[in-house]
Amino acid sequence: MQVAVDGPWTPLLGRLSLEAIPYTNPILIFTFAIAAIVGLVVVGSVLYFKKVGYIWREWLCSVDHKRIGVMYIILGLVMLFRGFIDGVMIRTQQAIAIGPNSPGYLGAAHGYLPPYHFDQIYSAHGTIMLIFAATPLLTGLGNVIVPLQVGARDMAFPYLNAVSLWLTVAGALLCMISLFVGEFSNATWVGLMPFAEMSSNPGVGVDYWMWALQVSSLGTTFNSINMIATIVKMRAPGMGWFRVPVFTWATMATAIIGLTAFPVLTAALCMLGLDRYVGTHFFTAGMGGNYMLYINLFWTWGHPEVYFLMLPAFGLISEIVSTFSSKALFGYPTMIAASLGIAGVGWVVWAHHFFTMGMGPNLIGFFSAATMIVGIPTGVKAFNWIFTMYRGRITLATPMLWAITAIVLLLLGGITGMMLSASVVDYTVHDSVFVVAHFHCMVLVIGAGIFAAVTYWWPKVFGFKLNETLGQWFFWTFVLASVLVFIPMFQAGLDGETRRLDYLFDTSLRPLMLAEVTGMGMYFVSLFCFLAMLVVSLVKREPAGQDPWGTARSLEWLTHTPVPFYNFAVTPQVHALDELAWRRANGLEKAQPERYVPIHMPSSSGLPFIIGMLSFVCTFALVWRIWWLAGASLLAVILLVIIRSFDKNEGYVLSADTIAEMERKLHTVSLIAEQSKVLPVGGQVEAH
Amino acid sequence: MAAHNDPLAHPEVRQGSVLRYVLGFIASGAAMYFAYVEALGKPPVVELLEILAGALLFSLLTQAALFFGLDISRAQIWKSVSLILTVPLFIIMIGITVWAFASLYNRTMPDPAIMNSMAM
Amino acid sequence: MASHTQAGADVVLWNASADAHDNISARTYGFWLYLLSDALIIAAVVACYAVLDNPLNAAGGPLGNQFLSASKGLVQTFLVLGSVLSYSLATVALKRGNKLGVGLGMVGAILLAVLFLGIGMGDLAALSAAGNGFARSGYLSCFFTLIVTHALHMGFGILWMLVMLVQIGVFGFTENVVARLLNLRMFWQFQASVWVVVYIYVYLFGGAH
Repeated sequence: MQVAVDGPWTPLLGRLSLEAIPYTNPILIFTFAIAAIVGLVVVGSVLYFKKVGYIWREWLCSVDHKRIGVMYIILGLVMLFRGFIDGVMIRTQQAIAIGPNSPGYLGAAHGYLPPYHFDQIYSAHGTIMLIFAATPLLTGLGNVIVPLQVGARDMAFPYLNAVSLWLTVAGALLCMISLFVGEFSNATWVGLMPFAEMSSNPGVGVDYWMWALQVSSLGTTFNSINMIATIVKMRAPGMGWFRVPVFTWATMATAIIGLTAFPVLTAALCMLGLDRYVGTHFFTAGMGGNYMLYINLFWTWGHPEVYFLMLPAFGLISEIVSTFSSKALFGYPTMIAASLGIAGVGWVVWAHHFFTMGMGPNLIGFFSAATMIVGIPTGVKAFNWIFTMYRGRITLATPMLWAITAIVLLLLGGITGMMLSASVVDYTVHDSVFVVAHFHCMVLVIGAGIFAAVTYWWPKVFGFKLNETLGQWFFWTFVLASVLVFIPMFQAGLDGETRRLDYLFDTSLRPLMLAEVTGMGMYFVSLFCFLAMLVVSLVKREPAGQDPWGTARSLEWLTHTPVPFYNFAVTPQVHALDELAWRRANGLEKAQPERYVPIHMPSSSGLPFIIGMLSFVCTFALVWRIWWLAGASLLAVILLVIIRSFDKNEGYVLSADTIAEMERKLHTVSLIAEQSKVLPVGGQVEAH
Repeated sequence: MAAHNDPLAHPEVRQGSVLRYVLGFIASGAAMYFAYVEALGKPPVVELLEILAGALLFSLLTQAALFFGLDISRAQIWKSVSLILTVPLFIIMIGITVWAFASLYNRTMPDPAIMNSMAM
Repeated sequence: MASHTQAGADVVLWNASADAHDNISARTYGFWLYLLSDALIIAAVVACYAVLDNPLNAAGGPLGNQFLSASKGLVQTFLVLGSVLSYSLATVALKRGNKLGVGLGMVGAILLAVLFLGIGMGDLAALSAAGNGFARSGYLSCFFTLIVTHALHMGFGILWMLVMLVQIGVFGFTENVVARLLNLRMFWQFQASVWVVVYIYVYLFGGAH
């Protein structure tokens, strides 16, 4: 039943042996040394400051949506760094290996990375950036913001929320451990069939990639369920559908995609898993398999996944543009329609990723036209942002700079996307770096949206603002780096540079490569600015008031800063789309509730963390085919879920007196913050 | 607070009814039996497709209405809306995949009948 | 500013009674969403089946019309529908808080489901024994996957029912237990709907005799 594997296999350890550890590769040894030092410093400082209990109780066991959101964001930033280093290696390799006869170092044919290692790096880069950096960052922001924006105490299913987080972490861990134990997939982040099948790819790399994707996409599906249920069922009284803030609407659209598209990936990966583990013939090259079927299923998920990432970024930009223009968002209903429209049309464009399959002119025409239609709602959004800024009182604080950049990048990426949607153009530039430059422009929109959002909502979560000067330094260096890397890439793509090649075939493109690698250096500078911004802000800790930007409009800025764990002492009654702006216009923004009622809160629980870690053990065991361990951990997960269902703990109740006491303290804190409030750069507070 | 209400008084518990469930069983079972009898008659493919699609649709609709109890009442409206929004996706995914691969096979694959005759 | 407030003095800013969320409907709605995503998994497998149900993908092995029995499938269909009816009647007993009625309905559902699984798995075993196992061809891989995916849903439902039988005994009809019973009802009905699709499409449209 089980597929025979290359190399030794023992019942106890499966395929795992000492040879799996790549101690002969100097690059990986260096990486391991760095990772070990960082790990030791983190663990050591936790032990030194005696924070083990605190971290376990307050973070790992937390079911608080804000804490979970913050952990998602931390995970996303760590993985963003890993993906960035992968990107640096791709760029430096191609900048060194100019021409087929260029010399090789460290045992490589060209440059310093052997092709097999290079393939793993770009596969890891794509997988990590999309699944383990962008997705957790956006999910995290949604987790922090959405329940606050709808005036809820927590997500609809706080316990499931924690499970989602730890499943995502399990996937990320799997990705990371593949660096030091075994290898990662070399079959691109897409998983090219039949190349990723056992016959051509007998190693554990594809298994690592497959299980990492599988377990984290499970987490994303759960999170989408949670988001939809929260938005549908948990809105504050008075918040009809046309009073739901625009970011929450965007999250709703994105969660609909997450709920419907991720199962298709789950199914596709399950079939690939069956092929690799028990020898079925779904995607094999012979025996009645059909490998294009995999590509079809993958992109049925893959294209909606792009909009899954894009839509929350659009929502974030909408909130920020409106706040820093001191003006209500232009065209709110069209913004919602556009979000839902993109989500809907995003479901019928997937075959534009494989126009070259040979499906015939009718289908190509259909998908080409559908792809072009996506431009309409996207254009509506871009114009709405511009009209929001038009005649607004614009404050060019860091979040606003990021948001404006995102609009410009959207234009660049969108127009090249329109070019690619024409199948004749696509046939010419298919698999060239022109496509790579196009979708990097699009994910940079997401990146800019995320950085804007992190700067904007940071004070709400942590109670102090990020340093504005260093934030601007970070912004400008990052933008300069992006221009240097991706504008030459368009040209290189049109000149015929193919993607995924470990050397540059056309030596005349060398100047473009040098510009790109200079841009990568610039990214390092911006990374330094980012870290400096974090450190300086942490040390200075200038307290921020309830509404640190002065012009925020939605519900989350109505409660204290930092937000108490119960969010709102009493659930607010909603009167307008921009509730805080409405209260401010009516002089009610400082109003506090007169009396408090007891609040029912969910208890924290260690089970989600344990389930996540057991999933990690299970998938790791499956990668190495250690059947007993995989079976045992899967059984343990099922038993834990059953045991948990017998748990009678239904949370705890916070009494009205406790809340009154906490609110009194928090109120004092925010009064102090108000008095020492630092004005945003370029901002003017007008006397009302 | 809702937590102190009697859970058995919840509208989704209250909607259970013997009559509806028995009717649902008979209706969807009859649709299946009808489809079975018709399919054994080996009608032409297009006709068979129409009969089976009709029987399937009827069976699923009766299950949705009578067993799942989907309607537009306050308790069930969001389930109905979510289902209606998802149904097009089933059709899109299965339909376009079938269309794409039928077209692909027509354009790139040899006709199996010819292949078999060549082998002989 | 505060001097010309547009809103009247009686405007309600905080709503102390808003915390009373209906937990049961939130949970059944969340579970319904899960079922929709599960249905898309099934739809993906059906889409694959539709593509692979082709002599080219049978690789010389049999297609469904050579081994599927429509009458056996019909028996299985009625077993599934009967099992669903039995569980549904259990939820009618739930209205009256009748533990025995709920328990009997569930036991009936389990027995019919086990019978169904026996027939289905027996067919698959016979097929494998005849040399037409899941590794024979792309078509058979997908056929086995489709049938086993449905069977796994059933197996999971049976496990869930067993747990619920214990929980009814231990806890009675608390909010948690009732929410789970309602979710389980939707799950059980869902697998029946899946089977109906499989029977019509794979058996009858596939030319079973």
